[in-house]
Amino acid sequence: MAYIIHVAIIIMFYVMLSQSLTLTAGYSRLISLAHAGFFGIGAYTSAILSVNYGTSFLLSLALALIISAIIGVFVSVIALRSVDDYFIIITMGIQVIAFSIMNNWMQLTNGPLGISGIPSISILGIDLSNKISFLLLTLFFTLIVFFLLRNITKSPFCKILIGLSEDEIFTESLGKKVYLSKVISFTIGGMFAAVPGVLYAHYLSYIDPSSFTMNESIFILSIVIIGGMRNLLGSAIAACLLIIFPELLKFLGMSFDKAANIRQIIYGVFLVMIMFNNNLLSVSKNFKFLKIIIRRKEIRTK
Amino acid sequence: MNVVMTQLAFNILITFSIYLTISVSFMNIYCCAKFFNFTHAIIITISAYFVFTFSKQLNFPIWLSVLLSVTFSIILAVCLEQFIFKLLRKRNKNTFELLVASLGLYICFQNLISLIWGDDTKSITSENVNIGYSLLGAYITKIQVIIIFVTIALSIGTIILINKTNFGRKCKAIYSNEQLANIFGIDTNLIIIWSVIIGSGTSSIVGILMAYDIGMNPAFGFNLLLYSIVAMIIGGVGKMKGLIAGSLLLATAQHLGAYYTDSKWLDTITYIILILFLIWKPLGFSGIRIKKIEL
Repeated sequence: MAYIIHVAIIIMFYVMLSQSLTLTAGYSRLISLAHAGFFGIGAYTSAILSVNYGTSFLLSLALALIISAIIGVFVSVIALRSVDDYFIIITMGIQVIAFSIMNNWMQLTNGPLGISGIPSISILGIDLSNKISFLLLTLFFTLIVFFLLRNITKSPFCKILIGLSEDEIFTESLGKKVYLSKVISFTIGGMFAAVPGVLYAHYLSYIDPSSFTMNESIFILSIVIIGGMRNLLGSAIAACLLIIFPELLKFLGMSFDKAANIRQIIYGVFLVMIMFNNNLLSVSKNFKFLKIIIRRKEIRTK
Repeated sequence: MNVVMTQLAFNILITFSIYLTISVSFMNIYCCAKFFNFTHAIIITISAYFVFTFSKQLNFPIWLSVLLSVTFSIILAVCLEQFIFKLLRKRNKNTFELLVASLGLYICFQNLISLIWGDDTKSITSENVNIGYSLLGAYITKIQVIIIFVTIALSIGTIILINKTNFGRKCKAIYSNEQLANIFGIDTNLIIIWSVIIGSGTSSIVGILMAYDIGMNPAFGFNLLLYSIVAMIIGGVGKMKGLIAGSLLLATAQHLGAYYTDSKWLDTITYIILILFLIWKPLGFSGIRIKKIEL
């Protein structure tokens, strides 16, 4: 039971991460590979604040959001000087810089040894150290992030994002501020990625830089792509799939290292297959496709 | 102090020649296929592992194992090109989708390599570590001398091939305007396959040499490729002089940075240079306007 709750919590972290990337990578087509960096920024901010200064959970969450927003603005202003493949390479570079700061700045982040002894969460005097209450808290935050992102994606602002992803110059000619919208969408994506980071740090009570590598970024991006780019629920489903499926491999008696490798191979194969057929995992479209096939068979039999 | 500087100069020369070769071969493919093909990293890595298998586990002589592994790497690269990217291109996928597919393939193959050969750092040579020749007070090993000569010969060869021959002109034609080139009877697929063969051949040799020098792990090809891409962006896509300047700048900055601060900040230095370049000189050294950055 404890194991199932653990998997559920991990899934919800990835749902939050992938949904926040859906806004950036899906709606405004800013394919960012720096998302694990923002995840790490949230985790490290909260960990450093609560271990060194004893701040409460809500305060460190707020500070982590503010810091990741500031870094998000800074990063997007740099990265948005380029487009397409070059943008991907630059965000990749930012991810590498973030990782090497976490890994090498001994005084601040304790380097590869990581930060241990992060206190468990207590809000307004209520202790949330046991797993079920933490599950509920994570669920609460997941729903908040989902709700906010759904409202953003239904807002007129998101129409600008979709417009600029299709044709930037045309959107600009309509009097919309393209650059500002891009910066805002990148920053919001980064901010929401810090939320699971904070929760992650308090959940494991120990963090080290190996959780925030480039492969993690690629994994989050592949969740978004497999979920169907502009589909919040789709990326949630894809996150479930991509995490539960490798967990099942562990029951087949596979060692931890091999299971990690096979997990990565699976999502690599998924990525290539999705590129061949965009609607591979999109439930609604595949359902329609099935209906069409069934109808054709019925017609033939008649 | 003088000795240290000579040693640094040698190290810069070695790194420069490696980056130059990989970025020249990568740029050739990039110009024809028009996307960042991350499977190039697989070619660099897997060729070294092939040599490891042939020479250490099957006890083939070195020349045969190098020849076999280069051949196999080229075959792998052409297969990937033919069976994945050509089909994707036929379906009118844009460059982003091709890039993501190549990223997916890279992840698959990297994990396959670590499943088959293990994650640890391996070394091909069975020789003991020796200090090598002494030259002007600095030390340089035999394999490093080979690296310098082979890589510079390879990159000069590729540069001549691109600048002087008919094949290179066809590449440039496809790079500047694909449809017009097709009208004049240039087969895009054929040119891409030839550039893949040449590029993967040269970079697999570099991978093998690097593995002889410093050993290998499943991720070393990717790091090497990323540095070369940074050198390519710094230099500006399309001009060879820019590429040489970019690789030289990157190698110098990395070695001096590692000498004056710490080698653990190598990645940070690399990408900070990239970011500074994109802020102040977004078109690279050569300043050729390409559509990616213009907008």
